Amino acid sequence: MTHPLLSVRSVSKRFGNIQAVNDVSFDVQQGEILGLIGPNGSGKSTLFNCLLGQYQPDSGSVALKGSNITGKSPSELNLLGIGRTFQQLSVFPEMTVIDNVILAGQEHSGSMISRLFGSPDAGLTKAAEKLIGFFKISHLRDEPAGSLSYGQQKLLDAAMAFMAEPSLVLLDEPAGGVNLTMLGNLKERLQAFNSEFGTTFVVIEHNMEFVMSLCSRIIVLAEGSVIAEGTPEEIRSNQTVIDAYLGA
Amino acid sequence: MEQLIQVVLSGLATGSIYALAAIGFTLIWQAAQTVNFAQGEFVMLPAFFVLIGINFLGMPLWLAMLFGLALSVLILGVAFKRILVDPLLSHGGLSLIIATMAVAILMKELVKEFYSAEAQPYPALVPQGAWDLSGVIISLQDISHLIICFVVIVGLTLFLDKTKVGRCMQAAAQNAAVAEILGVNVKRMILYTFVVNAVLATLASFLITPVYLAKFSSGEYLGLIAFIAAIVGGFNQVRGALAGGLLIGVLDNITATYITAEYRQAIPLLLLIAVILFKPEGILGKPEGRAV
Repeated sequence: MTHPLLSVRSVSKRFGNIQAVNDVSFDVQQGEILGLIGPNGSGKSTLFNCLLGQYQPDSGSVALKGSNITGKSPSELNLLGIGRTFQQLSVFPEMTVIDNVILAGQEHSGSMISRLFGSPDAGLTKAAEKLIGFFKISHLRDEPAGSLSYGQQKLLDAAMAFMAEPSLVLLDEPAGGVNLTMLGNLKERLQAFNSEFGTTFVVIEHNMEFVMSLCSRIIVLAEGSVIAEGTPEEIRSNQTVIDAYLGA
Repeated sequence: MEQLIQVVLSGLATGSIYALAAIGFTLIWQAAQTVNFAQGEFVMLPAFFVLIGINFLGMPLWLAMLFGLALSVLILGVAFKRILVDPLLSHGGLSLIIATMAVAILMKELVKEFYSAEAQPYPALVPQGAWDLSGVIISLQDISHLIICFVVIVGLTLFLDKTKVGRCMQAAAQNAAVAEILGVNVKRMILYTFVVNAVLATLASFLITPVYLAKFSSGEYLGLIAFIAAIVGGFNQVRGALAGGLLIGVLDNITATYITAEYRQAIPLLLLIAVILFKPEGILGKPEGRAV
């Protein structure tokens, strides 16, 4: 039996009196672009943080290709091939664009001695250059990352997420604060990655247009629970979803 | 003219030692967002480790210096980080800053109690002597101080920019949360920063103590000057601390030679006031935003 790439089973997380995530289960298949939407406070970010090792779920489990990864730290998940982008900007502002991407792919383990004498970018510069080329920010190669516009930093963030050659990338509000041109660019690049390398994506996003045109399947959360699941067309016409967004 | 060159060169030599201590301030600020007010004592103490090696353990100077460096790395680097910084850092920078003031007092009192309250002679690394370059007299000591500090600071910069460890240290300082997720061991990087600071302070100690003698209180002025140098140059930039150290060294010497030695200690403070008023981020520093 082949396992789904990511399998979420009955994950719950409570903060005090608030049940942020309530018994959520879903699978993500290899090569899929899955959207995770819901009104504010529906538990998307908490669920994301449970998947990414930022929070420990109170109950339930998360498995990657059949093996349990519940409770693993963010850096362990990174090594296992789960990349992520950030809602808040995540670049290292004083390093150049290329150095940011190289750092994201660097092997961070090993003894102090080996890491002192090993070149920091052995073989990585080429891969990093390819990625910034792919995300069309090559012209900013040697600029300090902190001097980039917000949208450009989002593209850099995405390039960094791909450096460790992840099989699954979780995108946390990639469209937030990005202008339309940059957004079209980002969507097209993500789709290209998906079709060329079979990279799987899970996307949290408020921008409906972006999610509907990017994702092949969408899961809708409200008050911590899954209320609908289906193709963008199905979700668009689902009365429960419309009610949840209208606060009915 | 010859005198001016002499004064500037010798100011640069002293300033480069200030810079070593000042760079420690900036590294610790970047890594842990705190200020080590025991920095002056971090420069005072290694000299006493060396004296213990020579006078009580019968070591030759070179071995005593290695002994002093090792003890400094262990006590001022590793133990300081583990025993003081780790438990206090989560309570915010301020409690740690106050704790470093306590450490400063403790170190001074320990030296006074167990070694001596008197200034101790300290062996010079460089033989006395001077070069006469067409009228400009340069002491061997000044020149070697300048060269040693230059090599150390260039080495430090290369270490930070060109090695995996150095880049991870920078990443941890610039965005700890993301560095952690990318697999950088942020806690270890902070430890390395404290170790580097201990090494810089030890070098400053080896260079400056032959000039000012080893005394329990000798770190007070040096710590203050290095702190001012870091602020004047730019507290969040290594090159800022370097520039601040050199500038204060030169100004100090020029004031003492051409104006009055009486007010030489006031000059760095005047410079500090001017920088805080007109360029609070320092000459080469970058403004730091803070989310409220």
